[in-house]
Amino acid sequence: MTAPTHDPLTLSLSVNGETHDVRVPARKLLSDVLRDDLGLTGTHVGCEHGVCGACTVLIDGRPARACLTFAAQMEGHEVTTVEAMGRPDALSALQQALHEEHGLQCGFCTPGIVVTFEHYLRENPDPTAEEVRDVLSGNLCRCTGYQNIVAAVLKAAARMRGEAA
Amino acid sequence: MSGDFTEIGRALPRKEDRRLVSGRGRYLDDLAFPGALHVSFVRSPHAHARILDIDSAEAAEMPGVVGIFTGRDLDQMTTRLRLAPPIEGLQPTELTTLPIEKVRFHGDPVVCVVATDRYLAEDAAECVTVEYDQLPAVTSITEAFAPDAALVDDSLTSNMVSHQSLCVGDPAARRAEAHRVVEARFSLHRHTHVPLETRGCVADWDDGRAHLNMHIGNQVPHPLRSQLAARLGLSESQVTVMSPDVGGAFGQKIALYREELTVAALSRHLRRPVRWREDRMENLMSAAHAREYECRTRTSVSETGRILGLELEIDEDFGGYCFYPANYMARVIALIMTGPYRIQDYAYEVRVALTNKCGAGPMRAPMAITSWVMEGTIDAIARDLDLDPVEVRRINALGPEDLPYKMPTGELLEDVSPRETLEIAVDAIDVAAFRARQAQARAKGRYLGLGLCTVIESTTYGSEFYKSAGIPGSGHESAWVRIEPSGAVNASVGLMGTGQGYESPLSQAVAEGLGVRSEDVTVHMGNTNIAPYGMGSRGGRGATAGGGTLYLCALKARERVLAIAASMLDLNDAGGLRMRAGQIERMIGEDWQETGLALTDIARRAYLDPLALPEGITPGLDFSHSYDPPAMTYSNSTHACEVEVDPQTGAITIDRYLVAEDSGTVLNPIVVRGQQQGAIAMGLSGALLEQVIYDGTGQNLSATLADYLVASPNELPEFEILHHNTPNRRTPAGIKGMAEGGVMGAIGVLANAVSDALAPRGVTIERLPLTPQSIRALLREAAPSSTKRTQP
Amino acid sequence: MKPAPFTYHRPASLAEALALLRTHGPAAKPIAGGQSLGPMLNMRLARPGHLVDLNDLIELDRVRVKDDMLEIGALTRHHRLANAPEVQRSLPLLGAAAASIGHYAIRQRGTIGGSLAHADPAAQLPLIAVTLGATLVISGPAGTREVAAADFLQSIMTVDLRDGELITALRFPLPVGDLWAFEAFSRRHGDFALVSVALSFARDAEGKIDALRLGLGGVDTVPLRLPEIEARAQGRLVDVDTIRDLAAAAAAAIAPEDSEQVPAVYRRELAETLVIRAFQSALTREEGA
Repeated sequence: MTAPTHDPLTLSLSVNGETHDVRVPARKLLSDVLRDDLGLTGTHVGCEHGVCGACTVLIDGRPARACLTFAAQMEGHEVTTVEAMGRPDALSALQQALHEEHGLQCGFCTPGIVVTFEHYLRENPDPTAEEVRDVLSGNLCRCTGYQNIVAAVLKAAARMRGEAA
Repeated sequence: MSGDFTEIGRALPRKEDRRLVSGRGRYLDDLAFPGALHVSFVRSPHAHARILDIDSAEAAEMPGVVGIFTGRDLDQMTTRLRLAPPIEGLQPTELTTLPIEKVRFHGDPVVCVVATDRYLAEDAAECVTVEYDQLPAVTSITEAFAPDAALVDDSLTSNMVSHQSLCVGDPAARRAEAHRVVEARFSLHRHTHVPLETRGCVADWDDGRAHLNMHIGNQVPHPLRSQLAARLGLSESQVTVMSPDVGGAFGQKIALYREELTVAALSRHLRRPVRWREDRMENLMSAAHAREYECRTRTSVSETGRILGLELEIDEDFGGYCFYPANYMARVIALIMTGPYRIQDYAYEVRVALTNKCGAGPMRAPMAITSWVMEGTIDAIARDLDLDPVEVRRINALGPEDLPYKMPTGELLEDVSPRETLEIAVDAIDVAAFRARQAQARAKGRYLGLGLCTVIESTTYGSEFYKSAGIPGSGHESAWVRIEPSGAVNASVGLMGTGQGYESPLSQAVAEGLGVRSEDVTVHMGNTNIAPYGMGSRGGRGATAGGGTLYLCALKARERVLAIAASMLDLNDAGGLRMRAGQIERMIGEDWQETGLALTDIARRAYLDPLALPEGITPGLDFSHSYDPPAMTYSNSTHACEVEVDPQTGAITIDRYLVAEDSGTVLNPIVVRGQQQGAIAMGLSGALLEQVIYDGTGQNLSATLADYLVASPNELPEFEILHHNTPNRRTPAGIKGMAEGGVMGAIGVLANAVSDALAPRGVTIERLPLTPQSIRALLREAAPSSTKRTQP
Repeated sequence: MKPAPFTYHRPASLAEALALLRTHGPAAKPIAGGQSLGPMLNMRLARPGHLVDLNDLIELDRVRVKDDMLEIGALTRHHRLANAPEVQRSLPLLGAAAASIGHYAIRQRGTIGGSLAHADPAAQLPLIAVTLGATLVISGPAGTREVAAADFLQSIMTVDLRDGELITALRFPLPVGDLWAFEAFSRRHGDFALVSVALSFARDAEGKIDALRLGLGGVDTVPLRLPEIEARAQGRLVDVDTIRDLAAAAAAAIAPEDSEQVPAVYRRELAETLVIRAFQSALTREEGA
């Protein structure tokens, strides 16, 4: 039995289409590496036990909690964060709808919601309100009561389908 | 009145959104400080224990550890917090920055470990050994008031840290002459705020300048600066508080907490930036809790349900420490209890208990229980006298003819509309049609219920309130408006938003007063070096105190701008001038016509050609103003909701929810609607799901988000909001506060609706939360027929 | 809430993973989706010296129907399980239960092997596995063995998994009755259920119950299958009286933990109600089909 080694690992991470080399301990959470080592602070840390959903990122295109993932696990995988999904001056359809429908207040949970639904709407372009609420149940929001978030997702979905909304 | 406004009342989407929705907001943890040290607190595993020994020798040798500090160390670096306002019945309290002699709740911070990163700090914190001698834990109000109770605070004479009473009129006489005396009980459970972003701070001591830069998401930057300076022995010139984007607060980010003061003191001590971000377990266990009350009402009523007199008892569980004067929250409840109803004979007794739990503080609607108590009492009267609860409300509600109305506590209600919102809500939910559906459903063994809850929401809290309450403090606010040489408009106020979305509505207040577009105004908040000293964001004061002060300040700026414009147009005075969207217009005949002069021209003149200014006008365009709003501005609303209770599982489904709201002049309807929705959601979440749970030994059993349950979208209904806004005639632009009433109404309306649903079984809700197991317990004990039964 | 230090291993094959687990013994802990282990690591409730990452063992990410058996690789994610056509055709009960696990993002990562190894008494997959008589395929130093799910799950978070062993697959016998239902009652959408019920049965030509499988979750330290109730149901008409009788008998057959927060009597009531609703839901679905 070999003794544990706690020396930092050198990792090559592919995030938002770019490759980054970082040296971090094996135990460092993906959420912390994205934020501290790569400066991608849009991924928020809200609970560190997988409940709140604020840290949701895409791993190989599918939503995942960055706080339940170690950066070391991400070599060979593609990570996508909210930073890749629009800019303040070029919002995505979903972000624009969240703005118009007042689907955010403090904004701390919002990146996790954006990441989840950017993925979900690609696979499910025409969801019902009930389906949106089901998916949204994985992202806690303390400010809005969710009603406007649901409306925003439905509006974005309609626009992404090319319908006027 | 609002018809005259061009900027106030616009549905302007929020300015904050673009950065927040794209992940470019800057919250505390997003700020980089090279070389910053991280702390981790060693917390008490016991509810109540003496600290015998702290051994940190092993931890101090661990990798990355820079220092380990105890209550004794911090006592050398900081002064103690003494709360001793001259309030009758309030015991003075004093606490050290970290406990020295004993711990008072499970999660109390005992030792602060400073290391080069949080992972290493947590490693070392695990290796600090604290030896305790456990003491009996006081875990309820009953235990706290027991004659042989252990003292939570050894310096006090009892656990009753505050005790006040008031008697107005002659409630005893009313009781003697009453047709019936109706008694009702209300027990509200312990909540906590759960902002998505937990507490935290970065203290950056600038050793060369001997200056503390404190980065902290906080609702009240200036009062926090005063506290920090005083507790660190610094002058207010030596402290700058900077609040970045904040991920929610709801009252949890007002006080200077012990952890934050510790971090600040250690940054100065170590001459390094030191940062702390509380983790979620710390937040749920140790930040601040709220709302734990036991209330009883005794109401003297006539045969028709008219209330003749009301007697109220409130007991509050305040937890282990006083970060606020202990009378603070319960007093407001007692103050506004009679709310929407005509009651003049009134007595209250308020007792506040210290217990071995996390300290209590204000949480969005610190007076949240008020509306449930009053409206639950109304329903109790209807039940007892077999009257229609709508009729009991009608004959007691304040109507236009009663206003202004002086409540028995001296509070003045004016420009409120409780009877109107009641009628709007009753009409919209169609009570008669519901009763028919309910009867059909009952015949099939289904339990449908309808609740009503009228809310009088105290907002703004001017200085006069503080003076009459005997609480040190002020309710005034200050602002500045500056038109730069380019014509750009900057403004600032002492508020600090924590997610509400101040930037649009406050820029609308400035734009309205000045005569520019809201899009062209930037409001700067949260930095004590930039903002004028203000009282910050709390108590629904943002709109009236903040917006009102900015509006008045902008009016002052407009006057100067128009005076300069008049001189540039060779007019004798500015009487026939106005500014719209930054363009000066002149009344010619019946029409406003463009003059070709713009704010940019006036700014250039004011800054760059001051000799051309008319006599008596000083160069520049820099204005400041302060304003003390009325003691209180009251908003009101009536909530109505339909529920169905599943008698087999005890689950509650909300089938419909609506609210008729009177929020006065609305600065921005988008933001106001969002606040209404969010407040109702928080109230419902609290009434249905949330609960801080301590076991009999004072162990906190709800320290994760899998245990402290916050509503997901699937537990919440859509909210229908109906507007009936009455401007307040005593405030600038008719503004009132809002954003807390939704919590008050949601708690009361849900409890009342469930009681209505279960009426055939004789069950009345006296205790929240409405967990399915608690509903089942009530039904299990209830007879199948209609025998009255209440909660244990 | 940061995990204690560990050494990270990322085996490329099952053989390599097993070798690592053998080498490091009890100090090693496998991680797959990490949706249950992750929080425990962050709270330092689990502190393995060696973390063995199974995510590259893609050979364990599979769903296939073989003869009289549905086999699911241990690394299959809940989302895939919920949506796999093979599952929807042959064992829709399993698919429906998987679709109700946690939340959308959790289901993208969480694996069937992880859920079984974690053994939360209220979890969906252990309940379905016990109810339908599934077996686990386990590889370890002594080779490969199969163990019935009911034997594998020993107590709360306690399973028959020895040092160096890994779950590689879960096998469900086929076919099962074509009537089925999964009913769960939780405080919030997506939470672990306070009580859950899985059932499956067939009806013979006369409309009588055949081969009932009935399991309850959240009522004991492990999910329970109730063979006495299954036997009691055999050959009876599925009418209101039968359903009520079976539900009452099921509720009487369990002895849930009693706590101040969730009293035993409440769980028993829920069990009875959910058994009734499960039968109703199975019959309603059949009528709709």
